[in-house]
Amino acid sequence: MADARDLPSVPPVVAAEQLAAEGEVAIGAGPAGIPGQERSERVRRVIVYVLLFLVALLFFVPFFWSVTTSLKTLPESVGFDLLPDNPSIRAYRSALSAYDFNRYFLNSVFLAAVVTTSTLFLASLGGYAFARLKFPGREFLFLLVLGTLMIPNELRLVPIYQMLIDLPVLHVNLLGTYQGYFVINLVTATSLFLMRQYFLTIPKDYEEAAKLDGAGYFKTYWRVMLPLAGPALAAVTILTFQGTWNDFFWPLIIFLGDETKYTLPLGIFQFRTQFYTQWPELMAASVIAIVPIALIYVFFQRYFVAGVTAAGVKG
Amino acid sequence: MATVAKTHSAAHRATLGRESVREALVGYAFVALPIASFLIFFMYPLANAFYISYFDWGALGKIESVGLGNYRDLLDDFLFGKALRNTLYYAAVVVPAQIALGLGLAVIVNQALRFRTFFRAAFYFPSIAGSIAITAVAAYILSADGLLNAGISAISGDEYNRPWFGQSDTALESIMALNIWTTSGTMMLFYLASLQSIPTDVYEAAAIDGAGPWRTFWKITFPLLKPGHFFVAVVSVIGALQVFDQAFFISAGSGGPNYSTMTIVLYLYNTAIEGARFGYASAIGIILFAIIFTLTLIQRLLFGRAEVA
Amino acid sequence: MRKRLTVLAVLVTATLAAAILAAGGAQSKTVLDRPQAVTAASGTVTLSGWSVGKVEEDLVKEVIAAFERKFPNINVSYDAIPNYDQAMLAKFSARQPPDVFYLNSEKAPTWIGQGLIAPLDSQVKRSKFKTKPFYPRLLNAFRSKGKLYGFPKDWSPLGMEINLELLSRAGGKAPTTWATLRSFAQRLKPLMTGTARPICLAPEWQRMLAFVYQNKGTVLKNGRPQFTSAAVRQAVNFYVGLQTAGLGDTPAKLGVGWCGEAIGKEKAAIAFEGNWAYPYLPETFPNVRWRFFPMPKGKVRGTLGFTVSYSTSPASKNKAAAWELIRYLTGQAGMRLWTSKGLALPARSDVKVNFPAPSRKPLLNEAGYAHVWLWPDGWDKVWTIANNELGAVLEGKQTVNGMLSRIQSEAQSAR
Repeated sequence: MADARDLPSVPPVVAAEQLAAEGEVAIGAGPAGIPGQERSERVRRVIVYVLLFLVALLFFVPFFWSVTTSLKTLPESVGFDLLPDNPSIRAYRSALSAYDFNRYFLNSVFLAAVVTTSTLFLASLGGYAFARLKFPGREFLFLLVLGTLMIPNELRLVPIYQMLIDLPVLHVNLLGTYQGYFVINLVTATSLFLMRQYFLTIPKDYEEAAKLDGAGYFKTYWRVMLPLAGPALAAVTILTFQGTWNDFFWPLIIFLGDETKYTLPLGIFQFRTQFYTQWPELMAASVIAIVPIALIYVFFQRYFVAGVTAAGVKG
Repeated sequence: MATVAKTHSAAHRATLGRESVREALVGYAFVALPIASFLIFFMYPLANAFYISYFDWGALGKIESVGLGNYRDLLDDFLFGKALRNTLYYAAVVVPAQIALGLGLAVIVNQALRFRTFFRAAFYFPSIAGSIAITAVAAYILSADGLLNAGISAISGDEYNRPWFGQSDTALESIMALNIWTTSGTMMLFYLASLQSIPTDVYEAAAIDGAGPWRTFWKITFPLLKPGHFFVAVVSVIGALQVFDQAFFISAGSGGPNYSTMTIVLYLYNTAIEGARFGYASAIGIILFAIIFTLTLIQRLLFGRAEVA
Repeated sequence: MRKRLTVLAVLVTATLAAAILAAGGAQSKTVLDRPQAVTAASGTVTLSGWSVGKVEEDLVKEVIAAFERKFPNINVSYDAIPNYDQAMLAKFSARQPPDVFYLNSEKAPTWIGQGLIAPLDSQVKRSKFKTKPFYPRLLNAFRSKGKLYGFPKDWSPLGMEINLELLSRAGGKAPTTWATLRSFAQRLKPLMTGTARPICLAPEWQRMLAFVYQNKGTVLKNGRPQFTSAAVRQAVNFYVGLQTAGLGDTPAKLGVGWCGEAIGKEKAAIAFEGNWAYPYLPETFPNVRWRFFPMPKGKVRGTLGFTVSYSTSPASKNKAAAWELIRYLTGQAGMRLWTSKGLALPARSDVKVNFPAPSRKPLLNEAGYAHVWLWPDGWDKVWTIANNELGAVLEGKQTVNGMLSRIQSEAQSAR
């Protein structure tokens, strides 16, 4: 005999989306529509918007400077003029032709895509387990997960390098291979941690409903928890993609010697010579490198408003 | 009542027992791959570092055993003292600032404002742009003849030309400002995800009760963000205590001027890479790990307990 | 069936026997032909250096191509490594270093001391490679305990760069002694506007040390640190005194990242830098006219030299080919090709190059009194402290004597 459980008829995130779509109700704002308050309310809003715009503009400054510098010549680029005298795409041409930038770009996309996929899966699965399943030693293992964040890369360098050259048990050399990179980057503790925290905030009613319907653990995870975790998954996607995309340390160690596998950060580094930096080329390359991340971000940040529409609590 | 009687039947208890075993096994299965990966690629190197910290260890391996000698030397080590002080100071300022700014931005962006997408993009942007570009821009803006000084000179009327990164009074603080600015976007992202999980009926109830926006935020939203707080606080502390990139770039590895940018990880890096003294470097790493671990444990006890049902 | 097995067995035995005989025969043939018992170098050899710009990389590839034409059996695989020290240490620890690599003179004592570098004396003797043409001070930077661990590929000393326009406005005569340096800077002082100063004073011992040598001082004598000696103190006071007199300042105060940039942005008229100012200055600041001059003379002539060698490791997999490559790269022909564009100065006195302007003669003439910048093992930390202290002194936060005693105590406890 099932208990009468009061399930919300619509998952909360979808309700938020509806409200947000209306665009007028500020979540957390006080009662609206009181006459007399309208004008001062509007003035206040205008001021807030202006301030926010100024702040936002400030946040865009580095990108703006990168772009203008990339259009300058080397002598110009060390000066303080905000705009170039004769903007030219010379630096872009030279950056793209000097080194195999297409190759680097593709490598970066490939690595980021694979690592993000594996992280999404493993982090959400593990995060769900840590948040909802009871198993002995869970607390200890969770501290272990957190512990991995506390070890700087330099400390891991030599042991991992030696392991990659001669993988224990299997005795293969993973240096210079994509597999080597994937193996050491299966999942990040940060993502796992994030997913766990997010799952903790989801009301247990959903899982219990699923259990009543006879769903097993994996099914509950796949059909109930994942769809509800839209914003967290989006956050993990953005962070992991970006983290892998900008990773300089490990691709350097692993792909050294095989230029066909270099990623963008390695390629970009080549514009820094021993004593000075070729700023226009460096900035051109950086601008090119930002575009995919910006696109990923723009695409995935939608999820911060609308959670993925409910897959249906009734299984 | 009938339900209670049912729960206590032996058959039911047996089912529950089998069920919890099954749950445990599934739990292990779900975390198996991540845990294995962490054990191999993090815990093993940590154990390795712990081992070699008892030796004088060079690039080719053991040179000689020194027991606790490395740790004893660290106690008297002038440079390590500077590094420790700088790093703790840095974390004490950066962590609260990052969290506050991240939360503030998340709340702003979470409001159903117009141009929300634009703001979301703008506030996150510094986090995206590669750190070479950001540090270079900052170096340019904060140099003695740079934009910031030009602005200050214009406002104050005096000739103002402090080299922000090149002076020991302001070098570390400038790095703090830089990092708070760039990482706030990431904190904003974390908080945004958390804010999304708060059901609207909560807000509706608050509105009905007549609570204003400020009160709603502090009494309702803020406490409900606890899992988010824990995450942001832990990640922020861990990241701050490992500050390295900017210190390295700004000081060309020297930790100057006047030791102001010498951080623990920078000292570790120099000891290992410039000095090829891996045993000593590992000792530094172990001490850093101990500090971070202790602080995380404290945070776990303070924040983390309440959440697990 | 049995017949086939027998045939098979006979064939296998015959093949094995033939192989053994052939191998044995080949060996004895080699011994007879080459009394030195050195097999002809062949195979692949890996060469690694740190990241350099496109121009240098192309130059290296040119030299390698020339080498491969001379030695058609050897194939060179070249890599420019970012974060060089870190990557090399990882490779050393995994016993898989490149066959030939750059060895920075400052790191030489540490890397040699840890057994990472192979001595080359036996190869030198066997191939009768002449060491005499190398500038002795440069070569000695790679000697340890009587053995030679590398041959310098190029070098640069510290020289004095002076802005030519300001030079002519201040009288036209470049300073040659400490006294004339001061008086020249005095004449320049009214000509410098805003944050600019006559001299750019890098807050680094790898610049200031030149003045110590000019004052007949040294920081290490017979294994004993000498930071608190009178000669060192005097030289440091001279250098720091230039700042107190308003005749110079640090790059940070001048609004630049380093003294080369100060010359380029005309924030200083005089800087103490080396050949690395080229091609940076002409490419980034094409409108500034400047030239190299020799360092001023104190009690004696003295300056710092920076050099890098080609070296190999005991773990190298192709020692014969590695030696041939080193021999070629640092031989007369190889070095001439490498230094032909003026990006680096030849480390051999028998290599004459027509450098593009500015003239490098003032720099090359310093070979006789250049002291190579190197760290005794364990002194990386001493120099970190020394440079931080110097920065503090130049900020007015530390006294010269305070700095010297701290560095002295640190140097004494360094192993």
